[in-house]
Parts: sequence; C-alpha cells; structure tokens
Amino acid sequence: MFSTIYIEEEVLESARVRNLLDRFSQVPQVICDRYGEVFNRKSQNFRLQKAAPALILAKKFGNKVLAAPTGYGYNDSKSYYFSHMLNCVYDCRYCFLQGMYSSANYVLFVNYEDFEEAIVEKIEENNGGGVYYSGYDCDSLALEPVSNFCNHFLPVFRRYPDAELEIRTKSTQVRCLLDTEVVSNCVIAMSFTTNEAARQWEHKVPSIEKRLEALHKLQLAGWKVAIRFEPLILGAEGLAPYEALFAQIFSKLDASRLHSVSSGLFRMPVDFHKRIVKLYPDEELFARPTEAADGMIALKSAEESSHLVAIERLLLKYVSSEQYYRCA
Amino acid sequence: MIEDVEYSMPVNIIVAHGLEAKALVRMLKLERDQASTEFVEYSNPNKLRLLVSGIGKEAVAAAVTYLGEQQACDDGEIRAWLNIGIAGHRDAPLGSAWLGNKITEHSSGDSAYPPQLIEGFGVGRVVTVDEPENSYPLNAAYEMEASAFYAEATKYSTAELVQVFKVISDNLENPISEIDIHSVPGLIAAQAPQLLTLIERMSAIVEQYNSSQRLPSFYSEICARTHLTVNQKLQLRRLCQRYKALGLEEDLGSIANLKASNARQLIQQLAERIDRISEA
Repeated sequence: MFSTIYIEEEVLESARVRNLLDRFSQVPQVICDRYGEVFNRKSQNFRLQKAAPALILAKKFGNKVLAAPTGYGYNDSKSYYFSHMLNCVYDCRYCFLQGMYSSANYVLFVNYEDFEEAIVEKIEENNGGGVYYSGYDCDSLALEPVSNFCNHFLPVFRRYPDAELEIRTKSTQVRCLLDTEVVSNCVIAMSFTTNEAARQWEHKVPSIEKRLEALHKLQLAGWKVAIRFEPLILGAEGLAPYEALFAQIFSKLDASRLHSVSSGLFRMPVDFHKRIVKLYPDEELFARPTEAADGMIALKSAEESSHLVAIERLLLKYVSSEQYYRCA
Repeated sequence: MIEDVEYSMPVNIIVAHGLEAKALVRMLKLERDQASTEFVEYSNPNKLRLLVSGIGKEAVAAAVTYLGEQQACDDGEIRAWLNIGIAGHRDAPLGSAWLGNKITEHSSGDSAYPPQLIEGFGVGRVVTVDEPENSYPLNAAYEMEASAFYAEATKYSTAELVQVFKVISDNLENPISEIDIHSVPGLIAAQAPQLLTLIERMSAIVEQYNSSQRLPSFYSEICARTHLTVNQKLQLRRLCQRYKALGLEEDLGSIANLKASNARQLIQQLAERIDRISEA
C-alpha cells in the first residue's frame, strides 16, 4: 500500500502513530525531523512518485482551519476548509494537486486533537455555525481504513448541529459511515465526471457504478448526500455523455432527497497548470488551447458558456434550482 | 545476463575506488573509455556509464559534475544515477547490502531521503563521514560519498532516479583496519543479481520518463534550419509537445514544410492550426 512510511520524530510515540506502525510493520519505516525534509522538495517528480507513494506521518502546525476560496460553497454561510491530509490516493489527470506539490506522497497529520480544537474554536466564533469542508487537499474517505478520520471528526460535528461538515470524496469507503448513527449536519459529497472522462482521466478511482452504489446505501441509511459534477470538460461527443451520466445517476438516487448538486468548470491557477504540463507534456487534455484570466487557467472554448447552460438545463430536469449551484 | 540486454540503460554509476569498479566492469560488460582524461571511465553501447571518482565527498561531487555537464543537453532527457560502494556497519554481516533510504551527512547532521520507487530491495540508513568510522554508533551503513553524491546528482536528475547502494565490507567483528581490499570485487560481484535488477528497473523508469518528454524530431529539424530566439524555442517546444499529445506528430512535417518566411510566422501557423483542431 505504501512504499515507505516516514515518521516525524515528534509524533513517533503517539498512540495513533504506534497503532499505524504496528499495522504496517512490513513497510520500511524512516524517522525524519520534519515532513518538509521528505515532502515537496524541489528535485522531486509527482508523476514518478505516483507509481509508489509513501505515507508521511506528521504534526500540523499553524492554521488548521482556513477560509474556503470564494465561490466554493453552496450557501452564504461562512465557510472553511481543513486538511488532515495532503494528496490523494487517486490519480486524476485534471487534479490541481499535481501542480500544487512536487511530491505524490501522502502526508497524514496525526494531531487530530489540535484540528478538533481549531474547528471548535471556529464554530464557536460563528455562534455554533459555519460550513466546514474536508477533502480539499485530499480525498477524506479514500484512506479511511488508515486515517480513521470519520471516527474522530464525526462526533465533533455531532456536538454542533448548526455547523455543517461536507466530506468531499470519490471513495466507496463508506463502511465507517454506515456503521455509525447518522450525523444530520454532515454531507457526503461525491464527485462525478462523465463515463468517458472517468475512463480517460480518473485513474484508480472506483467506477461510477460503485460510487453510486455507495451513495445509494448512504441515502437509504439516512445520510445527507450531495453530487458534485466537477470538472466539466466537454469533448467531441458534446452533451450526450452528460445526458447519459445524469440518467444513470438519477435512476439510482432519490433526486428529491439530495442535499445539493453543483457543477464546476475545469479551472486551476496558472502556475499549477504550467507545472502539470511539464509533468505530462504527452497528455491530450493539456494539449488543448487554454486561456488565462486573473491568475487562473481554463480550457478555451468559444461555446463554453452555452454548453454550461445546456448541461444545467439537462440537470434541472432531475433536480430543483434550489438544490443546484454553480461552483466558481 | 547483461550481454543479452538490448534495451537502453541510461544509468550513470559512480564508484569511489577502482576495486569497486572491477567487479562491475566485468558484470556489466563495460569497456574502458580511453578518451576520458579526468576520471577513469567505462561505458557500454546501451548508454550505461561508470566513473571512478576517488574517495570522499569532494571527489564524488566533482565526478558527478563532470559527467552531468558532459551529458547536459536541451532535449529534456535525463539519466538515472547510482552510487555503488562498500560501507561499514556495527553488526550487519559482511556482504549484506541495501539501498539508502536516509542519507545523513555526519558533519552537518543534514539528511536526505531518496524516494523509494523500486520494491524488492533491502533498505536502510546511510551515514556519510569525513574519516573512516570504526565504532559505527548508529544502525547505519557508514561510508564517505553518499551525501555529496545525492546532493550533486539531484541537480541533473529527479530525486527518484538517484539512489545509493551500499555493500557491507566491515563491522565491529571485522574492523576496517583488517579489510582485505582484494575481497572488495568479490563483495560487489556477489550482489550481481540485485544490481542487475536495480539497473534494469531504474532504466525502465528513466526510459518511461524520457519517452513522455521526448520531442518530435521536427523540433530539432526546425531549430537547425530556422533562427529562433530562446523564447521562440520554448514556444516551438510546447507546440511540438501538443501536436504529439494529440497524435498529430505526422502533421508537423507538412506544416514545417510551409514556406513561412520567419520563425514568428511559423510558430503562429503551428499555433493557429492546433488550436483550431483541439478546441472543444
């Protein structure tokens, strides 16, 4: 599962770390001072490391709960994100993480209690409310059997029913949720692209069928479920793949009970895109024409806005406009 | 066996001592490069190079710089780098060997962590000292080059492709003062199966990397016949990559034959055409 486990000396004796090291005793273990010695060094290559990622167990210092980027959320409440982990077990070619880090290793910050304290502080600052996103710099559920993330953080939000937790994922690791009492202010938001895009660009990601099956089980169990159509990337097939995807999804899930549905276009900071192009000069997606504005890069398409409207029209056949929002 | 190998092996091997090279020359069927004057150097037709650097950090850094500069080119291709050598350990058996997964420079206390992409090898810590170590205080292979080798080689390649492989030649029961230096080639030779596998796997990763970065031949043809500024070269490089990524490498040939009057016009034509084709 991991090529190596690097452990910051400071966390070596914590119970959470000892437990993990015992479970993965067959994996070579290397002690380091700070995770920055191993992670994101300038001579590293994300693409090569993705073939055999290592796990880094570290302590997070500094800000643990950050303001979410403008337009990220689904309502006007103050919104924040926190990342107990950096990097993702999946290998989606369109993902901005490839350009954000030079290393594909997974960093797991094991000082959950410090995250909890920071989250509680932020919730109380917001009179018990606010929206908190997990899964911005990682997939929160994909490494659940290792991280035990849900086990620790769901009870925190159970104590604050007016604060909302969104767990963004492409994982089918939902056992931890199904085995626990529903947390009414927790939303499981699953990301989807079309079948064609998934086949071409989403490596190691569970199939759309399996993701839908997981969501279906969650919905039946009473969990709040949301759908994120991101990133929307139009191909030569036009709208047909979206029609097929929507039909597939909404034949399986109860659309009226969905917490929210959103869409977002392919966008990332220009610098990230430049780095990704260097990593994957042979990737068709990055050979497409692009245009930059305000430090962000997007695929250039004369028809983009009309296509987006057409996709939204298709989507609104299944969900209400109150359920839908467009992610900036 | 290495004589049957037909694939490319773009790997640079650096050893400190001629006795460490001796077994490798035989194992890898290398030929002495008589033209080399600064270092004793060997190579084979499959791009494998071996350099004898001399002992210590300065010597190994100089050897890496020498080879790295010699191989510097603008086609984006890289090579793997492998430091092979003997080391001491307090209690590891003579002849045991591992890839370094943490290299500590004793004098500064700084550590580097070569990413471990290749499975199936023993791994362990390596400590680089300025003088031979007799007491081996840490559970590590003590030697004299690895930290400088790693720091220098990562300037010419990506860290995943820079590795050190150490073979234990002395320990507390068999101290360094009693090493029979003539046993060194035998210690290295005994690692032949491991080393051949390691070189093969490193070669495969480099080839995969270089293949993804390789530019269509039209790039160098255009560069040869048209004057391009540095910026225009970068633009042309990216355009060639885009044509290749879209499976349109062949089209470059016909476009390159267009009678563009200058580089700017040529780049503009190439860009307009591919934008037209690839826009969704």
